[in-house]
Amino acid sequence: MTMGYKKIVLLKDTGSTGRTKEFYNLFLEQCRLENLQDDVQIVRVADIGMYDKGIVVRIIPGDITYAGVTEAHIQKIIQQTLKNNKPVKELLFTRASKQMRVVLKSCGEIDPENIKDYIACDGYQALKTMLAKSSSEDVINELKTSGLRGRGGGGFPTWMKWKFARQIEADQKYIICNADEGDPGAYMDRSVLEGDPHSVVEGMIIAGYAVGATKGFVYVRAEYELAIERVEKTIEQAREYGLLGEHILGSDFSFDLEIRLGAGAFVCGEETALIASIEGKRGYPSPRPPYPSVKGLWGKPTVINNVETLATVPVILRKGGAWFASIGSENAKGTKVFALTGKVKNSGLIEVPMGITLREIVFDIGGGMLNGKKIKAVQTGGPSGGVIPEHLLDTPVDYENLQKLGSIMGSGGMIVMDEDDCMVDIAKFYLKFCVDESCGKCAPCRIGGFQMLGYLNKISEGKAGEDDIELLERICNASKKASLCGLGQTSPNPVLSTLKYFREEYLEHIRDRKCRARKCVDLLTYHIGQEKCKRCSICMRNCPVNAISGDKQQGFLIDVNKCVKCGKCFDVCKFDAIIRE
Amino acid sequence: MIQAKINGIDIKVKEGTSILDAAKKVNINIPTLCKHPDLDATAACGICIVKVKGGNKMLRSCCTPLEKGMDIITHDDELQEARRTVIQLILSNHPNDCLQCARNNNCELQRLAADFGIRTVAFPHVAKELPQDSSSKTINLVPDKCILCGRCVQVCQQMQDVWALSFLERGFQTRISPAGDINLSESPCVRCGQCSAHCPTGAIAEFDQTPEVWKALYDPNKYCVVQIAPAVRVAIGEAFGYPEGANLTGKLYAALRRLGFKAVFDTSFAADLTVMEEAAEFVQRFAHGKGVLPLITSCCPAWVDFMEKFYPDMVKHFSSAKSPHEMLGVLSKTYYAQQNAIDPATIYMVSIMPCTAKKYEIQRSEEMYASGYPDINVSLTTRELARMIKQSGIDFMHLPEAQPDHVLGEYTGAGVIFGATGGVMEAALRTAHYMVTGTDADKVDFENVRGLKGVKETEVNIKGNKIKIAIAHGLENVEYVLRRVQKAIAEKTELPYHFIEVMACPGGCVGGGGQPYGATDKLRVARAHGLYKEDDDKELQYSHHNPYIKKVYKEFLEKPLSEKSHKLLHTHYTGRPLYKK
Amino acid sequence: MKKLTKETLDACRSESQRKRGNWIKVGMSTCGIAAGAGDVFAILQNEAQKRNLDIRIEKCGCAGMCYAEPLVEVYVEGMPQVVYGDVDKETALAIIDKHISGKRLLNDHIYNVKVDRS
Repeated sequence: MTMGYKKIVLLKDTGSTGRTKEFYNLFLEQCRLENLQDDVQIVRVADIGMYDKGIVVRIIPGDITYAGVTEAHIQKIIQQTLKNNKPVKELLFTRASKQMRVVLKSCGEIDPENIKDYIACDGYQALKTMLAKSSSEDVINELKTSGLRGRGGGGFPTWMKWKFARQIEADQKYIICNADEGDPGAYMDRSVLEGDPHSVVEGMIIAGYAVGATKGFVYVRAEYELAIERVEKTIEQAREYGLLGEHILGSDFSFDLEIRLGAGAFVCGEETALIASIEGKRGYPSPRPPYPSVKGLWGKPTVINNVETLATVPVILRKGGAWFASIGSENAKGTKVFALTGKVKNSGLIEVPMGITLREIVFDIGGGMLNGKKIKAVQTGGPSGGVIPEHLLDTPVDYENLQKLGSIMGSGGMIVMDEDDCMVDIAKFYLKFCVDESCGKCAPCRIGGFQMLGYLNKISEGKAGEDDIELLERICNASKKASLCGLGQTSPNPVLSTLKYFREEYLEHIRDRKCRARKCVDLLTYHIGQEKCKRCSICMRNCPVNAISGDKQQGFLIDVNKCVKCGKCFDVCKFDAIIRE
Repeated sequence: MIQAKINGIDIKVKEGTSILDAAKKVNINIPTLCKHPDLDATAACGICIVKVKGGNKMLRSCCTPLEKGMDIITHDDELQEARRTVIQLILSNHPNDCLQCARNNNCELQRLAADFGIRTVAFPHVAKELPQDSSSKTINLVPDKCILCGRCVQVCQQMQDVWALSFLERGFQTRISPAGDINLSESPCVRCGQCSAHCPTGAIAEFDQTPEVWKALYDPNKYCVVQIAPAVRVAIGEAFGYPEGANLTGKLYAALRRLGFKAVFDTSFAADLTVMEEAAEFVQRFAHGKGVLPLITSCCPAWVDFMEKFYPDMVKHFSSAKSPHEMLGVLSKTYYAQQNAIDPATIYMVSIMPCTAKKYEIQRSEEMYASGYPDINVSLTTRELARMIKQSGIDFMHLPEAQPDHVLGEYTGAGVIFGATGGVMEAALRTAHYMVTGTDADKVDFENVRGLKGVKETEVNIKGNKIKIAIAHGLENVEYVLRRVQKAIAEKTELPYHFIEVMACPGGCVGGGGQPYGATDKLRVARAHGLYKEDDDKELQYSHHNPYIKKVYKEFLEKPLSEKSHKLLHTHYTGRPLYKK
Repeated sequence: MKKLTKETLDACRSESQRKRGNWIKVGMSTCGIAAGAGDVFAILQNEAQKRNLDIRIEKCGCAGMCYAEPLVEVYVEGMPQVVYGDVDKETALAIIDKHISGKRLLNDHIYNVKVDRS
């Protein structure tokens, strides 16, 4: 036995009291009294995978978890569990992760730069079995059974895309992996490409077999340097191992891959613009139909799938479409990867079964709100999505549900917002992104976006009237209806959804010239609360525009006409004497 | 055939017909700003939206094919509101200075705004403030007025294969400009003016030179003479409400006299002269082996420019004969001046051309000053002339017809068909036949060279000699023809052609870049028909039978390809390749 | 490398699975590297070499817990498989000293303990 201790006790206070250390000392002390210090190691952990369950204690081996533990329980745990291997029944808690890692299973487990690691985890088994036993039709049927829908945001059934491309007779067909991830705060594709690139390549080879394509492109944005490097290595290794190129795994099937770098235009994630970009043209979307699966890259049938979609394919073939379809909800099958960010404790990449609620994601997986603030909304779908207010957080996550709420599933960005987030400001942020990223081709998006942003600026500056909201909505509707591609059709979503759920906040900006989240700088005023002020003069000395005057006898005042609302005084005051409203 | 409904009207159309075109068949005009019948739909403006009954998604009718069983609604509250908003958005970013605009009264945006009864623009006006580009002195770019429909870019890149114009920047900053943000004169532009002919607004227009001409006409020391190109007579009527293709030669002569021109010549006369020179040149190369084959026509200056830039290796194949209006220019300042004892220094020669490139041609080399003076002083487009006539108060419709001035005004049917694609070839063949055989061909018409097919290839039999010919119009069609020639030369195989005619503009000069707006294939055919009808009606249909041509040779030029004609009527070409391989 | 065939793929799989012994994996995706995983990886490698430890130091991708990067996962035979987070240089050294050499888990840095339930 090389283990240092016979037993390990992991503990953490998962409540808001933060008594981990005290409890640890107490536990340690009592173990010592029982003379267990050489047999049992007590460990304070940073995260125990449970939240808001009071003090949690986990004992190894045996993996017994106790929740809601108090000081009074320590003796009982020591006597029953540590000494006699019997559980303390009233404290027992069954740990169950709400995450389900299917696509991300090997991400963080295997060495992405070593093909053998992937092969050891059943990599390329799906490909092997397919080449040995399945027709292209079988593959498409399996995908149909699985119910897999595009994970890039559109949610189009993957099998249908493949089927359309398969049906067309052509001397050349293409598979494109869309890795032009661009939503602010979203990095699912990057992580998969960096952590498990072979799964994407295997998915692409399978797609190639299913539709009859022999050539594929991975379209990655150039900023993803590490992902590019790893995909390059992956392609090299796969070629070396006979998994790409002529006669894959000794079969009659040949398929090869190339990388194409995107220059960073968000719109190139739109499939027709992406194709134009690969062809060396300006990344402009073009009208559909014809859809790429009929007439795509260089006029040939082309399947474009997102990274996550492709990475899901090998697992589906390995475990069966029915298995995949058994995960998730009625309307949406399988799992989805989200990049959980914002005002949440555990920001990171999560994978959950479809149908999980947003509340579960934020509180059970995300560990709840940062700094204990109240949750205000969750934004999904990036700049094409919308905000979902607190009272709707129990909605099960799937394509249709989110759409009904005025947002979209999107590629998987999920940003948690608290009461310090101003909804006008949020709408402005996302719209600004779309205005900057609009390709400029079609008028409703190009001019409409610019004008909408103008109205939002006016509102946040306190210069708008109520009729400006009407004009704003009018442009939103026109852009939604008349824009050519998804970017313009969905860019009003953040505006419309904040207007839908937080109209009152807009009206406060307009009528009362107030921003309750104190985000809209132009609506803020700073003054000094004389009762708290200790006349230390630090604010005056730090004001960059000399807007604060006074002396230690008379006290200090902020000249609102000079104040540029930089917030410096607020930050430096040690006595909370600066009032910001 | 597809059966469907549009606004409740049953309709049957060919598969693949767009909803926009299908609607036209049942007399419904769906408004659009970007779709042009010559060009593929780009779906840039967002105004042609329609919806399917029961669906909530809007379709762009320009690029969506009508599908079986569709129930399309083209006009309702929601659609009109979206359209009205988009129009207002466009107007919010447009100078709206209609009164000072080159397209006043003839602007598609203006018309649309008028039709929709736009009386106010709800959104704040944001000017573009981009600099104009008049550097090419042929075409004016006014990017402020551009609505980014993309027609010019499509025309320049696809229809003309020149790639001078492109989109720069993105989003709200998007603009049209020569690629690399250089000015037009430094760009690959060949000045064909098709961009201006397709522009829906005043963003691209001809470089207006009417002020210079007015000044000359009012100058007592100037002896102003004028010539009109064949294609002008069948298009100018469109500016005065005549039916399509009306031939108004006599009225034009009368109007030009009233404008104050002392002599009115006809470029068709010089076309006869060009035929004499070019046919002689062909016979010399074909029958006597002097010079290389194929011979390629050179009367189109945009084509000449294109060839010098893009096919420098083919320069030696060009006919050295100048274009007709240049020949007439030099004769007016030599022969005509001598005959009428006028100081050639005082002669001010104005060409009325369907063409913007002619503005450039008149200064393209020293040989354009063969008379010792500028052979042509100013070249105006048909559009400029129409404005001058209107400005001068001439009641064009009711003018009695007039005659041209001798000797440089009389022409044959062969001269006037120069204005249509295939016309130069046909006229030259008529005379070449005579030059080879000494007799006229049994049949005057060479039907195979007529019509709007992009590349026309045929064989003509002259005295047992098979002459293989090709006619291309619209520069995109040149590549096919010249690649075949290059291949045959490189591989030393039989030449695919002996004689090639190229006109830069679709339809030839009748579809020229300086012609009245709104050219479509239907209109091009109508204009060409006007010319062919005049040919039929002419007593003389062979250039070599023109008595005035004979007279000029006898009195002045001696014979085709004489030393004098070489000095005055011929020119050189220089390869000026733009790109290195 | 001889190209794999349908027949030899499984052999390659079995051979690859046979890797045994102690290991450390460092999350070396963008999120990890941005948080300093590169330095951590280098220190672990240096120390292991210096002390002649029988342990493989490997890279892996993002395990999802980006809030706790750099992540270092440690497996020492006979001990539970532990994921350490917020690993800086000092923690990396402590992992070598305490966990690998001393067979003791570190306080305040554990983000996950993986237990083989079989």
